[in-house]
Amino acid sequence: MNLAPANADTQLLTRRDAIQRAALLLGVALTPSVLQGVLRAQTPAAGAKPQHLTAAQFETAGAVAERILPRTDTPGAIDVGVPAFIDLMVGKFLTAAERRTFTAGLAEVETKSNAAHRVAFAKLAAAQQDALLKAMAEAAQTKSGTFFHLIKELTILGFFTSEPIAKNVTHYDPIPGRFQGCIPLAEVGNRAWTRN
Amino acid sequence: MANIQGAGTKQNTYDAIVVGSGISGGWAAKELTEKGLRTLVLERGRNVVHGDYPTAMKDSWEFEGRTRSPAASLARQHKQHRTGYTTSPATAHWFVDDIDNPYSEDKPFDWMRGYHVGGRSLMWGRQSYRFSDLDFEANAKEGIAVDWPIRYADIAPWYDYAERFAGISGNRDGLAQLPDGHFLPPMEMNCLEQHVRDRIKSSFGGRAMIIGRAANLTQPHNGRGNCQFRNRCSRGCPYGAYFSSNAATLPAAQATGNLTLRPFSIVNGLIHDKDKARATGVRVIDAETNEVIEFHAKVIFLCASAVASTFILLNSTSDRFPNGFGNDSGELGHNLMDHHFKVGAAGISDDFSDRYYRGHRPNGIYIPRFRNIDKASTRKDYLRGFGYQGSASRTDWTRGIKELSLFGGKLKADLIAPGPWRFGIGSWGECLPYHANKLYLNKNVRDKWGQPTVTFDCGWKENELAMRKDMKQSAIEMLEAAGLKEVTGFDDVALSNPGNCIHEMGTARMGRDPKTSVLNKWNQVHASPNVFVTDGACMTSNGCVNPSLTYMALTARAADHAVSELKKQKL
Repeated sequence: MNLAPANADTQLLTRRDAIQRAALLLGVALTPSVLQGVLRAQTPAAGAKPQHLTAAQFETAGAVAERILPRTDTPGAIDVGVPAFIDLMVGKFLTAAERRTFTAGLAEVETKSNAAHRVAFAKLAAAQQDALLKAMAEAAQTKSGTFFHLIKELTILGFFTSEPIAKNVTHYDPIPGRFQGCIPLAEVGNRAWTRN
Repeated sequence: MANIQGAGTKQNTYDAIVVGSGISGGWAAKELTEKGLRTLVLERGRNVVHGDYPTAMKDSWEFEGRTRSPAASLARQHKQHRTGYTTSPATAHWFVDDIDNPYSEDKPFDWMRGYHVGGRSLMWGRQSYRFSDLDFEANAKEGIAVDWPIRYADIAPWYDYAERFAGISGNRDGLAQLPDGHFLPPMEMNCLEQHVRDRIKSSFGGRAMIIGRAANLTQPHNGRGNCQFRNRCSRGCPYGAYFSSNAATLPAAQATGNLTLRPFSIVNGLIHDKDKARATGVRVIDAETNEVIEFHAKVIFLCASAVASTFILLNSTSDRFPNGFGNDSGELGHNLMDHHFKVGAAGISDDFSDRYYRGHRPNGIYIPRFRNIDKASTRKDYLRGFGYQGSASRTDWTRGIKELSLFGGKLKADLIAPGPWRFGIGSWGECLPYHANKLYLNKNVRDKWGQPTVTFDCGWKENELAMRKDMKQSAIEMLEAAGLKEVTGFDDVALSNPGNCIHEMGTARMGRDPKTSVLNKWNQVHASPNVFVTDGACMTSNGCVNPSLTYMALTARAADHAVSELKKQKL
């Protein structure tokens, strides 16, 4: 029995197809509960209400994330739900110490924004936001575990592991079916493989 | 299952009992059932049927915290978390709860455990190398510990046998210190790896860098599918494309009709019969009901893992064995070994910026041992040697996290594209067997079922620490000779506690003399030849290669011996 899938169709597979093919190769059907489990997406919707941060903190965090990875010809942090991801991380995943650092950092962003411009960070012009963040990044440069470290990591992680980016922006190929050690980059269009 | 719940001895009697269902237990089950023995496999954890791998098909966004585990679950797996990877949301369910399964440390010891059918065969690293006579002769030649009671010629046919069934991909490289086997086609090296291989070969007198030999199928094999190059192996493979008990040995055992698999069965100890001068069975605690049940058999294989099998022996005391079953030598629990690692070097390359690769290869490159293999390579500063595992890849978006000052559209565009090529190697070093490195029973700390627990007292010594200096320096030398840039060495000895490499070995060692070893050359307890121990506990030294293939070969060899002795009515 040849269990090798045809390589040509690999990239055309939908997710459900991929799961069903895996089940076929197993020789046994996945149970309905397992199938439902693997199909259930857990991406928080963009624009969702915060569960853990206050509305003001949520807005500040989203505005910072959007300047780290802004909308260009590809979606930005807010487009792919990074603020909701950060909210979830703060509520359930960060340690208590990290959470304190994070919320204190958000407050500091607002203090600086208000001191310099008398408005909330989210209402500043992009150039003003960038200048403020640049100063914070420089101050954090020689340290570790600061607010800026945390929000940069959470923004990049939340962005590149989100479905819209991992599926459509970086090169999504969850079941390559083969390994080729040395191919022209042009063949894959100068896009990195999505982490599997 | 109903037929074994009864209290009657007859109902609970089998030809053979296998304790544990990981790499060694799965092999014991397959071999004993295929040779016609009605075999009971006892597994302390839950059942996992092949295919029952809940995270195998999940993409990043389908995990609530993506790559992060919640603080609350990390708190319950605080020791399992010490590797840095075992508690990721894709695999955390394969590792134990440290609160429910405590152990103690006189010195730090990182004990990574998987309590479920298949054990750590589901999460193992799959690197599969043979020991050579360099390893089997070392103790005798150097006067260290005791001599191995076997040589390469004794085990070679069993390596053949194990490889043919398991399916090991690799290249026949013709190296004396790393014997070739029966391989499926090798995986490819990528552009930069090929380049580094050539430069190492020309710069260091022919030194070899080879493609890793991995228990991943590069073509369909024995009814299992070939590797899909997803590199999600440790979640469990729906294709059965790497060797695990669940995908390979247990289905083979099941097919004979001779297998009874009983999950949630914690073996508390062996039952010793003074008159027969042997073990007659095992005492089991049902993990769910706490009921104590006895099972009986002519032959017992302990394959619960080095530490757990040793625990069972130490916890089996009797008039005959006041210090633990088969412990006439006093060596039971001693000579604990692991590989020391997390030392090496990495660098980047400006070459091949217009090249890339396709697929997520679940394997890397291997630089076999090159120290102390002959007169010319003999070191004065330490005994034994080490190998390197590593790979080249183009960095991905994770590189953007460290560069604090970069943000904005340019950063995003940069991170969407593949980053610079990076090549890194880390070294796995041999650890000498020291009597002082040990585990022992702790009767003050009890587990959920009222059993004693284990305390570790184990640390690296002068030989390992001297070796590490060379492990780091040699890595830097090779990478610089290969033309890599920004070469940086590292030695994270503080992150490489014993146990962290998950290659625990040696605590019921094989030897020629019952006065100085626990097991004979067939893995039989000297003082009770119907008890076999074929997991890492049996190892007399630990070489520098990944050990699982050796456990497979030793288990198949021991099972063959057991059945042949049974037929001669010697057991």
